[in-house]
Amino acid sequence: MKHPDQETLALHAGGDLGPIARWRARRHLARCAQCREEVAGFDQYRQLLPSLDDSQDVHWSRLAAEMKANIRLGLAAGECVSVAGPIWSGARVGVALASVAVLLATGVVLEHPGPTVARETGVVVQATADGVQVREGGQSMGLMHSGTNKEAVTYQVGAQGSVEARYVDAETGYVTVNKVDVE
Amino acid sequence: MLALLGAGAALAQDVPIEGRVNINLGKDSPVALVGMSTGDSHSSSRGAALVLDLHMALTLRNTGASRIHGVALRVVSQEITVGGKGSVSIPSLNIGLGESFPIRIDMQLMRPTQVAGGPLVDVNLDGVLFEDLSCYGPDRLSSCRTLTAWDLEAQRDREHFKHILAQAGPKGLRQAMLDSIGRQSARPQLDVRVLRAPAVTSAALGPVHTEQFAFLDFPDSPLQPLDGWAQVAGNEARSPRIQVRNRSAQTIKYVELGWLVSDPGGQQYLAASLPASDPALYLPAGKTARVEQDTALRFTRAGQPVSIQGAVGFVSRVQFADGKLWVPSRADLERDSLVKVLPASAEEQRLNDLYLKRGLDALVQELKKN
Repeated sequence: MKHPDQETLALHAGGDLGPIARWRARRHLARCAQCREEVAGFDQYRQLLPSLDDSQDVHWSRLAAEMKANIRLGLAAGECVSVAGPIWSGARVGVALASVAVLLATGVVLEHPGPTVARETGVVVQATADGVQVREGGQSMGLMHSGTNKEAVTYQVGAQGSVEARYVDAETGYVTVNKVDVE
Repeated sequence: MLALLGAGAALAQDVPIEGRVNINLGKDSPVALVGMSTGDSHSSSRGAALVLDLHMALTLRNTGASRIHGVALRVVSQEITVGGKGSVSIPSLNIGLGESFPIRIDMQLMRPTQVAGGPLVDVNLDGVLFEDLSCYGPDRLSSCRTLTAWDLEAQRDREHFKHILAQAGPKGLRQAMLDSIGRQSARPQLDVRVLRAPAVTSAALGPVHTEQFAFLDFPDSPLQPLDGWAQVAGNEARSPRIQVRNRSAQTIKYVELGWLVSDPGGQQYLAASLPASDPALYLPAGKTARVEQDTALRFTRAGQPVSIQGAVGFVSRVQFADGKLWVPSRADLERDSLVKVLPASAEEQRLNDLYLKRGLDALVQELKKN
């Protein structure tokens, strides 16, 4: 059997339960001697309370007035230290929006990183707009194909570390192959 | 003090290099120097280095006993550090006995300013290829092999266009030329940087994975590619390795493969040639060897990194122990649509230029020559 909790029994003893809860409590108490004893106990305490009130030299109405006054004093002090203007205005709103924008931008960058450029060390051989270039640190060397349409130049890379530029020399009419090999 | 300032200013000025270029064609050379112009070549100081801006023209004469089909020159300002040497080669020549021909050298070299005295530049003959595919020269750059391969490709492509002329006449030849020129202008290209022996792949490129090679196996190739891979991270591919087997009856001493890569859209590009790293390669019939290079290639297009999605390899050049070379046939290249990805041979490039500048009749006359 499931018993009502202590609160329900106490409220029932004081006649403070609602109609449905009261009906359910009565129905249970009719079958449960243990809970009837609990309710009887609450009734005894209720009957003792007025005598306790009389026996103590406490001015309840005065105490209530003092508590009310203290609560009002606290509310008045809170109003004194609060800012006069509205919270979401001016620079505060700007700072907050900027912070949110920075947060969103950071999230987008972290989620979709752009192409990264790796640092190149050692000897690098590459084709450039003017020809083939080899560089290492601050030194570089170039093979050029001057006087030739750049679109007409064919580049070929050797995985061993070479680049060649092949084109038809405009002056001689011969195919010319310029090659840089770093080996 | 004024004298010191004056000396400094004089060092920073451009200095002509006329009279400080040494031409070395070798003893018993089949070519002789009959003219040289240093043009507006000059040298200038840049920090501790001397920058040589070469714009030279040499005129050589065939003084040998055979027609010359190719010449390679080695141009050196210093051998020690990067930026000191390069080469200029002229393939697809057909120079008769006693005939002269020009070679232009446009190059920028660097050398330390501390090196005093002597010539600023040495131009050395490295190889001369004759019509019978014999070769003369010190061959320090393996020019004889390269010139021979170019000559075989020239023979192959001249025969191709001659065949078209014979079968379809000038009109068919014109169409073949237009197709060739169109293919070259539409050929997809990437900018490739070669980094020699970088220690590690940069973490900025992303995670590294092993990309397996797929292969185009030409039926007539003496070499069969078996297996291969490269380390790929973002737009960088490094340390390619390909296992090959000699399926011919002859010993092979040089191997070169072509390497294609694909972008995320599936477009193929020629990445690089991949020569065997072992200069003393000896691959008997039926044996296998590994072709590998410890370099890294970085691919960009219009300045933007291009991620690598696939790798394809094919045999592009084989040299046998007796010095003879094999190159893919025209049928090999057309069967696998490689003609759309690979650059035209030097000879096809020359014929295209001839057609564009001098017209169909000049091209027909050129193809009728032996």
